[in-house]
Amino acid sequence: MSIQSCVTIINEWDIVAARQLGRNVAKELGFGIVDQARITTAISELARNIFLYAGKGQICIDKLNEGGKVGLAINATDNGPGISDIRQVMEDGFSTSGGLGAGLPGVKRLMDQFDIESSPGDGTKIKATKWLR
Amino acid sequence: MNKLIYGFIEENKLDILNEWIETTKDNADDRVLRVVSDQVFTSTSREFVDLIISNIKGTKEDYTSRLTDFAEKVVRLGWPLTFVTKGLHTFGEIVFEKMEKSELVTKDNQMEVIREFGAWMTPMNNEIVSVYSTTWEKTVSLQKIALQELSAPLIPVFEKITVMPLVGTIDTERAKQIMENLLKGVVKHRSEVVLIDITGVPVVDTMVAHHIIQAADAVRLIGAKCIICGIRPEIAQTIVSLGIDLNQLTTQNSLQKGIETALELTDRKIIVMEGAK
Amino acid sequence: MRIPILKLYNCLLVSIQWELDDQTALQFQEDLLHKIHETGANGVVIDLTSIDFIDSFIAKVLGDVINMSNLMGVKVVITGIQPAVAITLIELGIGLDNVLTALDLEKGLEKLQQELGE
Ligand SMILES: Nc1ncnc2c1ncn2[C@@H]1O[C@H](COP(=O)(O)OP(=O)(O)OP(=O)(O)O)[C@@H](O)[C@H]1O
Ligand SMILES: [Mg+2]
Repeated sequence: MSIQSCVTIINEWDIVAARQLGRNVAKELGFGIVDQARITTAISELARNIFLYAGKGQICIDKLNEGGKVGLAINATDNGPGISDIRQVMEDGFSTSGGLGAGLPGVKRLMDQFDIESSPGDGTKIKATKWLR
Repeated sequence: MNKLIYGFIEENKLDILNEWIETTKDNADDRVLRVVSDQVFTSTSREFVDLIISNIKGTKEDYTSRLTDFAEKVVRLGWPLTFVTKGLHTFGEIVFEKMEKSELVTKDNQMEVIREFGAWMTPMNNEIVSVYSTTWEKTVSLQKIALQELSAPLIPVFEKITVMPLVGTIDTERAKQIMENLLKGVVKHRSEVVLIDITGVPVVDTMVAHHIIQAADAVRLIGAKCIICGIRPEIAQTIVSLGIDLNQLTTQNSLQKGIETALELTDRKIIVMEGAK
Repeated sequence: MRIPILKLYNCLLVSIQWELDDQTALQFQEDLLHKIHETGANGVVIDLTSIDFIDSFIAKVLGDVINMSNLMGVKVVITGIQPAVAITLIELGIGLDNVLTALDLEKGLEKLQQELGE
C-alpha cells in the first residue's frame, strides 16, 4: 500500500518545495528529528542533482505501509543525460561539477535502501527508502 | 450436568488442591522449582486453582483480570508455559478421577462428562496461552527498552564534562541510537568535553571503530571535544592492524586519565588540599 | 532575502534564522566577504541554531566561505549545529575538518577571543 505526492523540479525553488514536502510527510509518519533531517537532506541531494544534471525531473514521496511496516520512499526520476558509470558516481568525492561529490553516496548512507537505474540517454531513476524503527 | 462438575470441585476444593500440588511438584522440572521457594510455589498453585474455579463461579471480568494478573506473575517467576498448560490438564485429570471414585461418573454419563470437560477446559487453555504470550511479549519489549536506555547512559561528572560508558556489543542500530543520545546529551548538559568509555565493549572491529570515529566527529561539529577512553591493548592492536586512522581522535587508556585530560582541557585540575594527610 | 550580518567590536555576527535556499546561500557568501573587507573585522561567528538540515551544497558554500575568510586573515567559528544536523553531515561524509565549532553563540564568541588573543 502506498500514497504518493510529487513535486516537479524545474528551478531552484522546486528543490525547497520538494524537501518541504518530504519533511512534512516524514513528520506525519512519525519519524524522529534525526530521521527527518536525514530524509530532508536526501531529498535535497536528489532534487539538486536533477536540477543540475538533468535540468528537469520529478521527486515523488511515497508513504509505505507493508505488512505493518511504515516507511517513506523518495523516487527521483528524470529524462536527462543519464549516468554511464554508476560505480564511479557512487564513490565518495566523485563530482563532474566541482561539488563535494558527497550527494549520491551520502544519500545511500542516510537512507535504509537505495536503488539506482540509469544509462546514457535514458535518464536516471533513483529510489531511496527509510523505514520507521 | 455442569452443576455436577462444578459442585464437585467446590466441595472437594482442598483435596483437589493438595493432590494437584503433589502431582505437579513430582512432574515439574528443575526450572520451575529452582526459581521459587516452596511457599511461593504453594501460594501460586493455590492462586491457579482459585483461578480455575473463578472461571466457573465468578463473573467474566473478574476471571479475565485474575487471569492477566496470574499470567504476569507466572511470566515474572519464569515458569514455562508448558508447566501452566500441563497444570491445567492435570487439574482436569484429578477432578475426573475423583469423580469416578465417588461414582459420580458412570458408564451412562461418561461420554457426556468428558464432552463437558472439554467444553470447559479448552477455552480456558486457549485463553491462558494467549494471555501468557502477550504478557511475555510485553515483558520482552519492556526489557528491550530498559536495556537500550541502560546501555548508553550519559553522566555529567563535572561542570562541562560528561561521561558515556559503553557496555556490550554494538551493532549499527545501537550505534545510531548511541550517537543520538550522545549529541543530545552534550547539548542538554552544555558539555565541553565528553568521554566515551569503551572498557565494556568486548569486540572493537572496523564497524565499531568506524561508528566511534563518526560519533567523535559529530561531537566536534556541535562544538565539543571527545575523548575515547578504555583502549585496551588488544583494541589498540585491532585498530592498527585494521589500518584505521585514529589520529584525529584524542584517546586515553583509562577513564581516570581521560578525566584528567578533560579537566586540563577545561583549565582545571584536581589538587591535594594543603594540610591534609 | 538577505541574511543580516551584525558587527560587534572587531567581530561579525551572523545568525541564520531560516531555511537556506541556494540563492540566499550564495548571496550570503558574497555579502560576508564584502563585509569583512569593509569593516576590517578579524573574527566571524556563524550561528546555525535554527537550521534543521544542511545538504552537501550548503555545506560546500559554508566550507568555501570559511576558507575564503581564512585567506583574508579572519577566523570563523560555527556555533549551534544541531545534533540531527551533525549526524546527517557525518553520514553524508562531510566532516567540515579544520572548522572551529562551539556549542552556542556565547561560547563561540569566547572561543573566537581565545583564538584571536593567541
Ligand atoms: N540525475 C542525474 N543525471 C545525470 N547525472 C547525474 C545525476 N545525478 C548525479 N549525476 C552525476 O553523478 C555525479 C555525482 O553526484 P553527487 O550528487 O554524488 O555529487 P555532486 O552532485 O557532483 O556533488 P554534491 O552533491 O556533493 O554537491 C555528479 O557529478 C553527476 O555527474
Ligand atoms: Mg549532488
